Amino acid sequence: MATVETTTPTAYGGKWHGHYPELGTGPLPLEVFTSVEQFALEREHIFRKVWLNVCRIEQLSKPGDYFVKDIGVCNTSVIVVRGKDGQIRAFHNICSHRGNKVVWDQHGNGSGFICKFHGWMYGLDGTLKFVPDEKRFFDLKKDCLGLTPVHVDVWEGFVFINIDPNPQETLQEYLGELATELAGYPFAESSATAFSWRAEVKANWKIVKDSFQEVYHVGCLHKRSLPDAFVSSDNPYTHMLDMKLFPRHGRASLFGNAAHQPSPVQALSYKHGSILVRSGFSENTLPVGVNPTRSTDWSFELHVIFPTFFVVVSEGTYFTHQFWPLAVDRTIWESTTYFPTATNLAQRFSQEYSRIIFRDIFLEDARTVEETQSVLSSGAKKEFLLQDYELLVRHSHNVVLNMIRGSDGKTIGRAV
Amino acid sequence: MPRPYLPEAFRDLEPWLAWSLATERERSAKRQSSTMEELKAFYDVMLARMEAILPYLEQFPPDNIPPQTERLFYLTLSLAEIAPAAELYDQPGVVDGFDVSRFRPGSE
Repeated sequence: MATVETTTPTAYGGKWHGHYPELGTGPLPLEVFTSVEQFALEREHIFRKVWLNVCRIEQLSKPGDYFVKDIGVCNTSVIVVRGKDGQIRAFHNICSHRGNKVVWDQHGNGSGFICKFHGWMYGLDGTLKFVPDEKRFFDLKKDCLGLTPVHVDVWEGFVFINIDPNPQETLQEYLGELATELAGYPFAESSATAFSWRAEVKANWKIVKDSFQEVYHVGCLHKRSLPDAFVSSDNPYTHMLDMKLFPRHGRASLFGNAAHQPSPVQALSYKHGSILVRSGFSENTLPVGVNPTRSTDWSFELHVIFPTFFVVVSEGTYFTHQFWPLAVDRTIWESTTYFPTATNLAQRFSQEYSRIIFRDIFLEDARTVEETQSVLSSGAKKEFLLQDYELLVRHSHNVVLNMIRGSDGKTIGRAV
Repeated sequence: MPRPYLPEAFRDLEPWLAWSLATERERSAKRQSSTMEELKAFYDVMLARMEAILPYLEQFPPDNIPPQTERLFYLTLSLAEIAPAAELYDQPGVVDGFDVSRFRPGSE
């Protein structure tokens, strides 16, 4: 097998943290997961300021297609819609008359939006088209009473919105080098089929997020579901092949055991396309940000887009996580697995097996994050400890801290 | 439902038609409400037939599936649903897992 730690630095006793000495190696204060004040600061300084992924472009394929996303952490609901002119636009989902939520369903297709309360009508471009009994109003300036626009942009088919009326950066600037490194990944072809789950978990958004930012837990928590897919005798603790921190985002290259022995149904699934751990990969087709070490023991590339969007890519398939904070101890978790269009029913069976295995693994994670949150307020512990392969966890907490303190979070760069 | 319920070559699986379920929600609920003996019996029967079923299903694009073929296909989706129970957990649900009914499928 290939060497696991290909670019291990010499600082910090040969640990990954040596690349990022500014992060330190100290403990993490536990109160960031339980403090209501902290949650309010995160709402104000992070979620109301950054670009947030709300859907895929395939969900808005035709003019008039719309998608509604309730964003509890920003105290709003957003309509994302493709106009007659093909443009994607986004609006706060609130009527200009007396504040009713205009669209109540989650998605659909139409020629405009009609408020259910008094029937005010808006076009797909957000303009106010019609007011019932308009003459009884006083100096109504319809031109100024459209739906309130929200900034929206698209990257590789992922639709992002920004609640800030004056975003400090474009989406491209926000994604930065992470986007550059992923350019060329066939998201469009790989996104033809999407299966999603949604759950409300009783845990702080960072507890949920952090559980997906490291794979140190795989050999323990997932010992039944993943007995040998991501661990091997040479790599029993699922050490990552590579890690890289961007100013706010992070990337990690995940080890896969090419000698993994599939279970009987898994083996049938593998024969028809959908493979959890591949042996070998098509090196030339992958962008530099996917399996950057070109290891034969590679499984997935984990891209963590700050604050709460995960794009986890393999060859031909990928999945995403999106976490939506509701309160300091409640989070909506949305997970979607994407596949290319199945050409026959045997391939669909193969896809089904893959996604069900993922679901059952996620159920192990979800239980754990709730059990964790349930004892955090005990006062028994004040700090969390992080090991070298929990670097992405450390980094994202640092970004949260910096954004709350008022800097733009851009304090981290990979030491050369 | 017009007879035969399944394609001619797979009519031996007709006693298992209760597992021919169209949605993840239904398949998951049936997995959770079954005993391990029931899951293992379905698993063994299906696994023994998969080497024949998959080449058969390979002939069909996912659109416009004949109803008999669709029922057979749903049986294989149920096998995918229960495989972790039979192969990994040795119990219907995920060991120490989150309640699957709180994990809501988005597209069904």
